[in-house]
Amino acid sequence: MNNVIANILRFLVLLVAQVAICQHVSLFGYMTPALFLLALFLLPLELPLSLQYLIGFATGFVVDAFAHTLGVASFSCTLMMFLRPYIVRLLNGNNNNKFENIDRPVPGVKDFRWVFLYTLILTSIYQVVSVLLETMSFRNFGHTLLVILGNIVLSVFVILCIEYIFHPRVKNES
Amino acid sequence: MNNLIEFFKKAFHIIVLAVLLILSIVMLGKSLAFNDYRLSRAVQSIVGPIQKSGAGMIHRFRLGPENEALVQQNIELMREHENMFIEKEDTILTEMSLPDSINSRQVRLYDYTYAHVIFRTVDRSFNYMIVDKGSNDGITRDMAVLSPSGVAGVVTDVSPNFATVRPILHPESRISAVVTPANQNGTVIWEDNNPEVAYLEAIPQHSEINIGDSVFTNGYSNIFPKGLLIGTVKEVQVGNNASFLTIKVNLATHYMDIYTVYLVENLFKSELDTLKANFKHE
Repeated sequence: MNNVIANILRFLVLLVAQVAICQHVSLFGYMTPALFLLALFLLPLELPLSLQYLIGFATGFVVDAFAHTLGVASFSCTLMMFLRPYIVRLLNGNNNNKFENIDRPVPGVKDFRWVFLYTLILTSIYQVVSVLLETMSFRNFGHTLLVILGNIVLSVFVILCIEYIFHPRVKNES
Repeated sequence: MNNLIEFFKKAFHIIVLAVLLILSIVMLGKSLAFNDYRLSRAVQSIVGPIQKSGAGMIHRFRLGPENEALVQQNIELMREHENMFIEKEDTILTEMSLPDSINSRQVRLYDYTYAHVIFRTVDRSFNYMIVDKGSNDGITRDMAVLSPSGVAGVVTDVSPNFATVRPILHPESRISAVVTPANQNGTVIWEDNNPEVAYLEAIPQHSEINIGDSVFTNGYSNIFPKGLLIGTVKEVQVGNNASFLTIKVNLATHYMDIYTVYLVENLFKSELDTLKANFKHE
């Protein structure tokens, strides 16, 4: 129960930070961090899959509503939540279908390599899909690529910083 | 049948995923369609107020520079007002007997600058204000001081960086005024230590003054341009002095929250002062 409240609070804080601050950041004119992804990254994998998709969709919708890009973040977040278990399985190096509470990018529980790759891969999925959906064309593709790369770099940097500054405490229930 | 239920249980999350992805695509399509704003309008009606209050909060921190820009813009506009100029007949054109509108040229009589009040009193019987500009900024004695809402006072003393202003709230303050629509000239003075009320003197008893009539400067003093609001008539009494009315005037300037003031410079002041001095010597 405690875990649920912590998760909800984390979502609220990160969404407000995203909508109020990060969305207005435009480093060098094209780099915008997607800090709210951290809330999705830290969502426990034991949750029912359909609930995870719904949370991803709702989070994306809120971000969309404030950015006037209806559908973009909702689609990307839902897709990202769908791919997340496979990424974790890949990183864990086994085909175990059971997930534990520690299968999250938590410093101290997972090593830096795990946390970094997890963050990088999922952020990349989100940024590639969302930027392409937002652009909706392959014209001026060089710039689109630049935006995607810039967003990935900045997002991963910000998310890792926040992650390592505020360790979420994980109770090992097993 | 059981198989079907089993299948649904297993595939439920896939169905949810498909529904959500399709919903996203539909929203995306709706927001891209140029003539269909229903969805984005509905979302905007919820998000809009939140964004507005957020933008308002951020805006509050930027009010300073914006205010300065608005003051500058105000001065530009005020400088073009007709009471800034005097009409002069052009002798060459008069000989060509052209219509009056072409026949005259406008000569700038007044110019504006602005300052901020850094100290002021309102509750004494001799009140004064200090503004943050002085002789280094071209401020001189006897410049008129206006607040955004009306006449505020006159510069009485100048140091290099600051200037003292005598507001209307001072027993020695005298401003020649005209009350409209009666069009009677009088003098605004200040007597009973009330920062909101002054008196309009020397209005003959026969004039028809109503409550709410506006009192403007009449431009006789060479300090104030013509037609600046001083206040509105609050009360009209038949005074002890049989020939004049006692008129209370609600001052237009709110001295309690005065900050930005405009200073008016008479560009021909020394010329006019010389004339006046000569007159006194006779």
